[in-house]
Amino acid sequence: MISKEDLEHLAQISRINLTENELEKFPTQLEKTIEYIDILEQIASDDSVTLDLHELEFEELRKDEIRISDEKQLGKNITEDGFLRGPKMK
Amino acid sequence: MTKLDDLLAYEVVEGLTEGQFTAEDYVTTIIKRIERVEPKVHSFITLDTDGALSSARIIDKKIKEREDVGQLAGVTIGIKDNISTQGIRTTCASKILENYVPTFDATVIRSLKVNGAILLGKLNLDEFGMGSTTEYSRYQPTRNPWNLDCVPGGSSGGSGAAVAAGECTIALGSDTGGSIRCPSSFCSVIGLKPTYGRVSRYGLISYANSLEQIGPICRSVRDLVMMLNIISGKDALDNTSMSSTPISIPSRINKLNVGIIRELITDCDQEVAKLIYSASEKVKEIGCSCEEVSIKNLHYALPSYYTLASAEASSNLARYDNIRYGFDYPIGEYKWDTYFSNVRENFGEEVKRRILIGSYVLSSGYYGKYYLKARRLRSLLKLELLELFKKYDLLIGPTMPILPFKFGEKIDDPIKMYLVDINTVIANLAGIPAISLPVGFSNGLPVGMQIMAAPFEEQKLIDASYELEKVINIPRRPNSI
Repeated sequence: MISKEDLEHLAQISRINLTENELEKFPTQLEKTIEYIDILEQIASDDSVTLDLHELEFEELRKDEIRISDEKQLGKNITEDGFLRGPKMK
Repeated sequence: MTKLDDLLAYEVVEGLTEGQFTAEDYVTTIIKRIERVEPKVHSFITLDTDGALSSARIIDKKIKEREDVGQLAGVTIGIKDNISTQGIRTTCASKILENYVPTFDATVIRSLKVNGAILLGKLNLDEFGMGSTTEYSRYQPTRNPWNLDCVPGGSSGGSGAAVAAGECTIALGSDTGGSIRCPSSFCSVIGLKPTYGRVSRYGLISYANSLEQIGPICRSVRDLVMMLNIISGKDALDNTSMSSTPISIPSRINKLNVGIIRELITDCDQEVAKLIYSASEKVKEIGCSCEEVSIKNLHYALPSYYTLASAEASSNLARYDNIRYGFDYPIGEYKWDTYFSNVRENFGEEVKRRILIGSYVLSSGYYGKYYLKARRLRSLLKLELLELFKKYDLLIGPTMPILPFKFGEKIDDPIKMYLVDINTVIANLAGIPAISLPVGFSNGLPVGMQIMAAPFEEQKLIDASYELEKVINIPRRPNSI
């Protein structure tokens, strides 16, 4: 059962504002999704090894050297001295 | 001679290098087709026709000067708009990235450019790749070229529709739970989700990074092979990528043992089942054996997928905090919590739902109940499939359990929407390659057959698909648009 308070908590920890319309319809929709995935309970808990998706090839790791990145790759809001400008918080 | 906008990719390369036509003429023809068709289909979010013509002239000059033009010389390609393209807006069909212009190309884009491909523009998708119909795009829905009242599938709906409608010769999509294969099936084109790790994800804007792969969408197996070989390969910028053997067009194929997945056939619409059974007869006709098999853990696959994908989405989309990319708010004073929440209100409904579910399944008290169980199921499913692949070379079934449906039919019920992915998520969970091949129509609506193989066994997929393509003759272009 997803109450409006549960939903508001989830929205808070996800840092997402919900519109009035979403606050209205999301509890039922999310509840149906959670009911749907409840079937996973039938899967036995098991501490044995979880298969890796694939065996990653680990060749020699690269040397621990500084590489200069292009500051422009940081996107917008880069100041002249190469810092990222963020919003001013109260 | 075939019209320039109907040519397959390998025909374009042959025609250009033999001097039958110029790249500029070919690209101009494609652009004229886009002008006629795009107002009906709406495949593109961003078009770069000037850039495309400029690239075409460069190709023509290189051909004239007998320089190497690359294996995809001059071929027009559309790119799903969650793949980074330097200097070209990349929105993920979201309002959050409405003005985001990447400063770098994805690795796959660099590989395509080096091989002479011409980027036409960025193709529509469900926002951040979350959806199966392209209805969740924050820009406009794309329409199925075979029936404009129907969805083209998703999330790479723009890619499937554009190739089907002749707006580009080939396209790239991405596939997290079926997002290449679904639109390929619904739009009667060929689409491949490669083995996880075959293609670099560097530059693919993440939704669920343990599940997704970039892959090709096109109209012939030969084109698919060209594209796959160009975009495959180990990449230092993606440490989940692996080296792989290039694929070749077979001259003859060995007898392949094929299993048709019982659960997928019995649970799909009758019209779909009929066409798949008919296609399975063609599988026998090309010299393969075909018998029914069962996948024991199949009914857990979709709940597991949505648990894992939502969990990863909630983490991957946490970066949209309006610091590095987003909206131009004035600098002045904000409160810590409300700043981020206000910005992120701009996600669409489906994205919000998945982030919230992701937060839920990862939270204390629920993590063991959902997320860890889903991870466990993933291992069990993969083990089961690897066991089947010891006996069978390929596993087949319908790509989609239903025919393409009308707009709005499923959008109000998320579970109804999720259920359309039931056949395709298996391959993403297990990391195995899967192709969707068009096999026919029911009342004018396309049906695709899905073929899956063991990890890195794309050659077997290609072997079967190449032979099947010869015996299943279906129109690749709707005449109506």
